[in-house]
Amino acid sequence: MKTWQRSLMALIALLALFGGVAYAQAPGTPPVEFPYTGNRTAVWIVAQLHILFAGFILGAPIFVVISEWLGYRKQDPRYDRLAKEVTKVTVILYSMTALTGGLFIFVLLATYPQFTTWLINHFFIVFAVIYPLLFIGETFVLYMYFYTWDAWKGNKKARHIALGVLLNLIGSITLFVIDGPTSFMNTPVKAEGVSPVEFLATASIWDKMFNYSWMPLNMHRLVGNVTFGGFVAGLIAAYMYMGSTKDEERAYYDWMGFVGNMIGVGALLFLPFMGYLLAYELCDYDASICPYMMADQLSMFFEMQGAMIGLIFLASNYYIWLSMKRIEGVEKVRMTIIAPIVMIALPLVMTKVLTDYPAPDPKSLMFLLPMLLAPAILGRFIPITVSSRTVIKIGFLMVVVGNAIWLTPHGFAPTGAKLVAELELPSDWNFLALMPAKNSAAFTLVFVTVVNYIIYNRAVTQGTIVWGKIDYASQFVLIFLAFSAIWTMGLMGAVRSLLRKYFHTYNLLPDFTAESFTPTLAYSAWYITGITVVFYAVVSFAILVTLRASHPKEHAPEGSPVPAGAK
Amino acid sequence: MGKAIVKIIVGLVIGAGLWVATMTFDFPPVFRWLFFGYAVLGTVVFLILDAPTMKVMSGGKALVSLLVFYAILCTVFISGASLWPQYDPEDEKGKIVKILKGKPNILDPWKADEVIARTKELDLKAKELTERIKALGTVQGAAGQDAGAAAAPVAAGASGGDVLKIGEEQWQLQECYNCHKLKGEGGKKRGPELDNIGTLLPQEEIAKKILDPKSYKAEGFDTEYDKGKMPDKYKDLMELKDVQALAAWLSTFKNTSVNTPKPIKMK
Repeated sequence: MKTWQRSLMALIALLALFGGVAYAQAPGTPPVEFPYTGNRTAVWIVAQLHILFAGFILGAPIFVVISEWLGYRKQDPRYDRLAKEVTKVTVILYSMTALTGGLFIFVLLATYPQFTTWLINHFFIVFAVIYPLLFIGETFVLYMYFYTWDAWKGNKKARHIALGVLLNLIGSITLFVIDGPTSFMNTPVKAEGVSPVEFLATASIWDKMFNYSWMPLNMHRLVGNVTFGGFVAGLIAAYMYMGSTKDEERAYYDWMGFVGNMIGVGALLFLPFMGYLLAYELCDYDASICPYMMADQLSMFFEMQGAMIGLIFLASNYYIWLSMKRIEGVEKVRMTIIAPIVMIALPLVMTKVLTDYPAPDPKSLMFLLPMLLAPAILGRFIPITVSSRTVIKIGFLMVVVGNAIWLTPHGFAPTGAKLVAELELPSDWNFLALMPAKNSAAFTLVFVTVVNYIIYNRAVTQGTIVWGKIDYASQFVLIFLAFSAIWTMGLMGAVRSLLRKYFHTYNLLPDFTAESFTPTLAYSAWYITGITVVFYAVVSFAILVTLRASHPKEHAPEGSPVPAGAK
Repeated sequence: MGKAIVKIIVGLVIGAGLWVATMTFDFPPVFRWLFFGYAVLGTVVFLILDAPTMKVMSGGKALVSLLVFYAILCTVFISGASLWPQYDPEDEKGKIVKILKGKPNILDPWKADEVIARTKELDLKAKELTERIKALGTVQGAAGQDAGAAAAPVAAGASGGDVLKIGEEQWQLQECYNCHKLKGEGGKKRGPELDNIGTLLPQEEIAKKILDPKSYKAEGFDTEYDKGKMPDKYKDLMELKDVQALAAWLSTFKNTSVNTPKPIKMK
């Protein structure tokens, strides 16, 4: 995309932004009523699209700069190429972030003018000064980072990497700043014995920003963005691999897909715990949020989330399995028998320990830590080993078991009020639906994935990778991972927003419109899928424009004779 | 092919085993199907692990396969989400209307909607009162002074019934049942079972606990990690009369056969 095209998109975004602000300032203007979707769903669609673009442009530069640094340090040009190609896509999606951001504000102001004005007034310094300055700063640094890529190489490379670090610094601060109003809507400032309205009147901007869920949301989104960025890098690689006709191109994009997946999975391992931290703080803020999430209106959203995360872990481990197949000499790799034993025992032992000593009781660590470290410590003294293939297959069995535990609900009813004995787990087995079992399931998935990566690492050191020869099915796995990650982001985004129940700002500002109810999971799934497809279409277009189109086709060498008059 | 058949047989055996086990332990049929589904998932996973290598595709064939793959993903995700039990928003809509009725909208300084609604409400009440005064006049005229004196406790009784009805409604609206078990329903051990609360606490103290949750803690619910503590929000969300009605309703529960934990006064 050329500079004038980007400028035009930015101009449209700004026009939408200022037009929206001007519209909202007209006194007594009635809210717009969106046909078909209704106002709330219209805001949802635009906000979710904006967050997806924003998530990518904030997450991708984190591993881009790491990749560039690795390329510089290892003197491996593949890392530099990966970084540059992802940055190319990021630059296009940056324009889309600005465009959807402007559209988001416009739609918000048109549909909820009073609330939007109220929120802007409370965070005026953020919306009017800090956020625009950060956004302009990030725009400046991103374009500078991209356009100096070829100029700042060799002994200037360190300077370019430093610019990338600065880009990430600004990006992370931007994320943290905008998370302030977002988290405020979920957990507004409060103090014991004072009404929320009274306390808000005296609260400083820092009080409002530094609310209960601000830091957990920052951490969750930061890690989530890296996961998402990694999987989208995998998607880019899959598209390019599928379109490659040369072996060296396939080899490169096979490698890029592996690295993208590794970044995605690496960050994904932390994501369940970051999500748990966020949920923990939300429940600490108001204990009635917990049953609303886990047992009542949103309980089936969490069942779906469990299914999605289970599938993502299955797919990412399947990708490692396919990756192992293209390593020559992999059959020689063996591992201590303690590892599969711990894998099998983990869900049961962890459920028991966490039931008896619920987190954050340190006694639980006294039991679990030695167990988790047993393969590394006891494995040195016990000489019995099993083949990597066996360990991975046992790992898959335990991923299925982990998924099953995560997925098993307390009852097949959408709310506790509608639960009858014919739909409920027998009381002796109710532990399967409680948090200790769910945590042990999440930990089993993480543990198996870590073990699989350790095996892969051993296979790499003992064998030879034949890049470009991976099973073609792996490209569909990469695409599936990106699609599922985006879909899950959409699902959890809806959950976080719905946690405000019938409030614009929880417990503080009720939403008096007729749309302030909890929608069904099926209704949400349609829109989440639609948003994911639109996002995917734009990203696919961006990849096509930036990478496919930029690949030079074979043409006549320079200086070859050209007939006179030919154009 | 032979290996695949063996895997399918093993998967079916495990599925059947899970089915029998869940039957033995009295799992409802829906859970039997769920556990059988897990066995099917495991079988599919192990079949895919050793599936033959996929041939490389290119050009139009790759594009078509990609589009079909996306169509499958969309269908599976939407239908997967639709298979779970669906919450009925109508259940919630009525509750929200009741909760927000009469609440001030601080975003609307003109309160136009409220003024109109309030005018209509007052108009209706005025008509209702006029009818009642007329009716009272007729009764008093017909039965004399004695009948009038006897009517007073009936009216008071009806008013008390209204209060209890409001209290019960508040229990539902504020979704107290999500944490507290009462009449064998709700709870899930987040908060104490309340069937005997009327014996342990007087009405005023129950109201105090609702308005200031830290004023009392129940035995067994005063652990160091009190993440499930009762939210300190009802004084802001509920009208005082509604809190009192809820407390009045709860104070009628005096079932001593239920072990409602003893409240410990904290403030």
